[in-house]
Amino acid sequence: MRSNPVDYEFVAPGNLSAIVSLLAERPGEWLPIAGGTDVMVQFSAGKLAARKLVSLWNLPELRRIEVSASEIVIGAACTYTDIRGHTAIAREFPLLATAASWTGGVANQNRGTLGGNIVNASPAADSLPALLVHEAELILISARGERRVPYTNFHTGYKQTLLAPDELIRAIALPRRFSGYISYSRKVGARNAQAISKVCVAALGRLANGVAKDVRIAAGSVAPVPLRLRETERVVEGKTIDSALIQAARKVAMTEIRPIDDIRSTASYRSAVLGNLVGGFLEKLAAYAENATNDVLARWNNLSAQEAAEQVLPCCGSSAWARELAACRPLRDEAALIAASDEIWRRLQADDWLEAFSKHPRIGERKAPPTAPSQSASWSAQEQKNVADAAESVQRALAQANREYEQRFGRVFIVCATGKSAQEMLDILRRRMQNDDATELHAAAEEQLKITNIRLKKWLNL
Amino acid sequence: MVGMSVPRKEGRDKVTGRAQYIDDITLPGMLYGATVRSTIPRGKINKITFGPEIPWDEFVIASAKDIPGKNCVALISDDQPCLAESIVNHPEEPILLLAHPNRHLLPQAVESVNIEYDPLPSLFTIDESERQTQIIWGSDNVFKRHLIEKGDVDSIWQQAAYIVEGEYTTGAQEQLYIENNGMIAGFDPDHGITVWGSLQCPYYVHKAIMKLCNLPEKKVRVVQTETGGAFGGKEDYPSMIAAHAALLAIKSGKPVKIIYDRMEDMVATTKRHPSRTRHRTAVDRDGKILGGEIDFTIDGGAYATLSSVVLSRGTIHAGGPYYWPNIRIRAKAVATNAPPHGAFRGFGAPQSLFAMERHMDRIAATVGISPVEVRRRNFLKCGQTTTTDQTIREPIDLNPLLDRGLALADYRAKKALFAKENQIATHKKGVGIATFLHGAGFTGSGERYLASIVGVEGCADGKVRVLVSSTEFGQGTKTVLPQIAAETLGVLYQDVELAQADTLQVPNSGPTVASRTVMVVGKLVQSAAHGLRQTLIASNLLQPEHSPEQFRSACAKYIAQHGELKSWARYEAPPGIFWDDEKYRGEAYAAYAWAVYIAEVSVDLATYSVAVDDLVALQEVGKVLHPVLARGQITGGVAQGIGYALYEKVVWQNGRMQNGQMTNYIMPTSADLPPIRVYFEELGNEHGAFGAKGIGELPMDGPAPAIVNAIADALGVPFNSIPLLPEDIFQTLTRTQPQYAPPAPQGVR
Amino acid sequence: MTAPRTQCEISFTVNGEPRTVHAYPMERLLDVLRHHLGLTGAKEGCGEGECGSCSVLMDGALVNSCLVPVLQAQGTVITTIEGIGGASHLHRVQQTILDCGGAQCGICTPGIIMAACHLLSKEPQPTAEQIKEGLSGNLCRCTGYAQICEAIAEAARETTR
Repeated sequence: MRSNPVDYEFVAPGNLSAIVSLLAERPGEWLPIAGGTDVMVQFSAGKLAARKLVSLWNLPELRRIEVSASEIVIGAACTYTDIRGHTAIAREFPLLATAASWTGGVANQNRGTLGGNIVNASPAADSLPALLVHEAELILISARGERRVPYTNFHTGYKQTLLAPDELIRAIALPRRFSGYISYSRKVGARNAQAISKVCVAALGRLANGVAKDVRIAAGSVAPVPLRLRETERVVEGKTIDSALIQAARKVAMTEIRPIDDIRSTASYRSAVLGNLVGGFLEKLAAYAENATNDVLARWNNLSAQEAAEQVLPCCGSSAWARELAACRPLRDEAALIAASDEIWRRLQADDWLEAFSKHPRIGERKAPPTAPSQSASWSAQEQKNVADAAESVQRALAQANREYEQRFGRVFIVCATGKSAQEMLDILRRRMQNDDATELHAAAEEQLKITNIRLKKWLNL
Repeated sequence: MVGMSVPRKEGRDKVTGRAQYIDDITLPGMLYGATVRSTIPRGKINKITFGPEIPWDEFVIASAKDIPGKNCVALISDDQPCLAESIVNHPEEPILLLAHPNRHLLPQAVESVNIEYDPLPSLFTIDESERQTQIIWGSDNVFKRHLIEKGDVDSIWQQAAYIVEGEYTTGAQEQLYIENNGMIAGFDPDHGITVWGSLQCPYYVHKAIMKLCNLPEKKVRVVQTETGGAFGGKEDYPSMIAAHAALLAIKSGKPVKIIYDRMEDMVATTKRHPSRTRHRTAVDRDGKILGGEIDFTIDGGAYATLSSVVLSRGTIHAGGPYYWPNIRIRAKAVATNAPPHGAFRGFGAPQSLFAMERHMDRIAATVGISPVEVRRRNFLKCGQTTTTDQTIREPIDLNPLLDRGLALADYRAKKALFAKENQIATHKKGVGIATFLHGAGFTGSGERYLASIVGVEGCADGKVRVLVSSTEFGQGTKTVLPQIAAETLGVLYQDVELAQADTLQVPNSGPTVASRTVMVVGKLVQSAAHGLRQTLIASNLLQPEHSPEQFRSACAKYIAQHGELKSWARYEAPPGIFWDDEKYRGEAYAAYAWAVYIAEVSVDLATYSVAVDDLVALQEVGKVLHPVLARGQITGGVAQGIGYALYEKVVWQNGRMQNGQMTNYIMPTSADLPPIRVYFEELGNEHGAFGAKGIGELPMDGPAPAIVNAIADALGVPFNSIPLLPEDIFQTLTRTQPQYAPPAPQGVR
Repeated sequence: MTAPRTQCEISFTVNGEPRTVHAYPMERLLDVLRHHLGLTGAKEGCGEGECGSCSVLMDGALVNSCLVPVLQAQGTVITTIEGIGGASHLHRVQQTILDCGGAQCGICTPGIIMAACHLLSKEPQPTAEQIKEGLSGNLCRCTGYAQICEAIAEAARETTR
């Protein structure tokens, strides 16, 4: 320990306005310290220039997270543990939650703060690229009042920021408009935990009609400041992602950055790896783009578990199926979705199958049972439209057969109606009346599987 | 109870935070000490001035002039000064000592001592030292040379189907014990110097203080406190820091504590010797070694310290577990202007065995056979001689050991699978083998010179004390030696304790190094315990078949009659163990442990980083005395070996370590290590306690070559230098393998 | 020399006992525990929050006490290794670390045990991955971690019996 504690003044007024006044009285004289994971390392090493410090640790005004319809506002003294543990942040801003999990071990995450990370302004800081791609806004406070600045402009040079000497970061605002975006992040450090990054990338983008839209890529440890790779973004924006585009983007990315040789790594390594990570992000986007139904699936992949289950429920009717399918996310494409759905359906219990069956109207009836969601009802109507056009005698025979079926098996007759005439369905029904209970249950389940597949495909193409 | 995992004796204290390490101890009136060190690698000290802002009259200041005896840290030669007088030969060389009651005032005081130098040209690498553009030590910069010759090397080259050459280098490695070096010294004219601290070898410190302070044996007392890791890093360095504390204690008349912080410990104390090994091998058409030349050079830093012995071990292990009908090994330790390098687990063998095992894979590739086959065709067999003409007498057969290792690692299936998958995968996978040996105990005549003495004492309450200078620093000395004594005596483990390692109380059983504690010292404990039991039986106080209770009362009775019950054992070289120091030939070690390590790696081509996915560590160790401790030794050693291979790089600039912080000197965390799968075989050992061989250092030899062999397998590119960082892999790949090269940067406009 | 600063009074709860110390506000919590309160279980391995051997619990959260200026510990509840287990019995984590060989030289052990207790308080039945992650801020040079992780898994299993 190379500093003498006697030489330092350190106060903890305990409320924000007192601190703001103190900073106003003597701008630049007092160094704010929150969790100390940077400042105290300097102190221990005998390298802390400041002699007066004021504590921001655990101030209630700075350590809360507010969720409104349009944004999530994270208090500057929120720790990485606070951020990781917040459900909405973990769900909507996985880049930030992931970056928080990278920073040090648990003990340092319990003390390190987002505000501290920003003000310390190391280009290697893990969370800063995530803030860049989300176009966060910083809410700054001083005795002169509050102002919002786009985070994009905050770093002006190596460890230099726009913060005035009498100012603090009060909070960081993240706009809630990234649901359905595909995200990618990767940190390359000297080891898997407790490592300062050598290269770090955070990226976001979405796909519309198979082309990349609103792509944002930011990198750390490759320039004096955390960097948005705007040239690279321009190269990719609005284009279909193929290997030629990926190569072009990588090359451009490697020219935008200004990496150095330092004690941890080399400029050429950083440059090459940054190119590889940009390529990795674009390949991920491309994988999602393989199928034209991308957007729906991509959005669905980013919903909450409950919302995702609710959205697919009309395709099948079994709540267990919907829950388990939602739990399989993210799913890359239609094939993966169908495969997962089939596998789940075949594993379910009889009760779950019956629940699904109960959502269907009788073949020939227009009106779906009241338990069926409206989407399900409208699909049922579509699927059964051939029956509506059938001859009246067939319709009556079908109705009679349905009643006999229900009397025999205790439930509605399930058949995949799409493309089948009323007569065909009647024949099928009469044949299946011969089945024993077990065989018939499986036959109905197989039909439901076909119906589910058709409905899932329809849903993806909405 | 030998063979059982009895509880660690000091374990309870360790898990409750009650164990007392040196920085937990405070003595009344104690001062704190700090060291003023050279900021240049080599030069003359011109002027020392003391800055005006410090109240110097409150400080005790000691310099070389205050040394009562000889200004050296006595070890093997006396070339290392305790405090530099007029010349410095490495960055961080100690020049002055300061002490003050307030430890917080010391860092600024150290910074305020201004030293002016006349710099002299300096050398920093093996190559520079060899070129002798400067002579910085002795007459030719060479601390020591060894030459091993067997057979007739010069005659075999014409017969060779292949001549395979290779150069392999290893970097410095920091021991990184989690407890920094620390000492407290006290002095009074009646009792002399007492030193307490973190150390491996109390008698090394004892010898050094005697010479430094010109005090007789009985006026120097060294006491080991609980030591938080050592790995060789506290073999010789403690003598230096103890000497410093002692000088300040003498000058001030008060106890003085010196504790290093992490940066000082990393930059100023010893590290593993960097090495360069050159192989030139004649091999027949089937890959059988006809003979070869090995040139093995280690960088010793600025002073001789332990380099001659590190060189010794590295030289003797340079041929690996293979049969060399003809060989010439030229070895030397050279001087550079860096802080002296020292002992670190393995002690020269990890360096030369890295080279040997990489070279075997190179031979295999040249001949066109597999890494498995080339080893099989060259393994030493019982009855054959090593490079030093030692006949292998134990019934070791390395082929079944290799078979077992390959099966445990699922080597064949993985090799086939990876070969196929690597064609398209972005993570290239590979498997690599290292087969090796490690000699336990001091090299050659070393044990004879040490002439270790061990005592076992019966106490009035019937308990037993084991008297050794062997120290506990995590490896289990305090547990296993009592375990051995208890088994031999027929008493309860709970009734036997190791006496504190205090030179006033225990004899010199030799240093706690060289994997000798269980094997050599343990055997002496066995003898002394046996002797104790015999004494009681001969006095008719004890029957040969007795209960622990009967032992206790026999003990008590004997002491009531005679006052004391102690039994001693002194080392005697086993018959048939001869070593010729001059010709450098003969039985180098009383016993060897043998091992097969197999590593599985994946290389991520996006980041060029390596993950070790699996590591099989299989070794024949004589006998496993304590399964939990033995497994702990191997697992911990393998973790350090993985660090040696992939993570631990010392960044040098002008002889000074630049990355002297845990943030920048990277050792593996719990998140970085694969499952380390440990397996033992037991062939016994007539020279070791209960058949045990030493295992402390063995696990350091295998991981690095196995891992680098695996990386070479994964990428199809050889790597010959460790540490092997992603940046190094990137550089090699882009230079030699265009398909891995990233696209050249290209601007948009 | 700068003008002398004053000490302040820090009151907090340490291992269940209310304690008050007079210390300079920038003294590290680690040093206050070790020197003012004689609780030497927390160790200084690096002074930069990398090794975790100084870990303690502050208001239930694992922190590196070498990075906490004592003023910020005002009014908090601190638990150190001395507060784990009791006078006559060991905490189950302490016992399993002993049984599994999780302590060799012991210098990292207090910090490891604090990290393990913290982990189990958040995740009573941690997976192997969670154990590794929970320990990733504690460096051990002796054991290679395997037997430590096994000890924690064993301690977690014991709570279900």
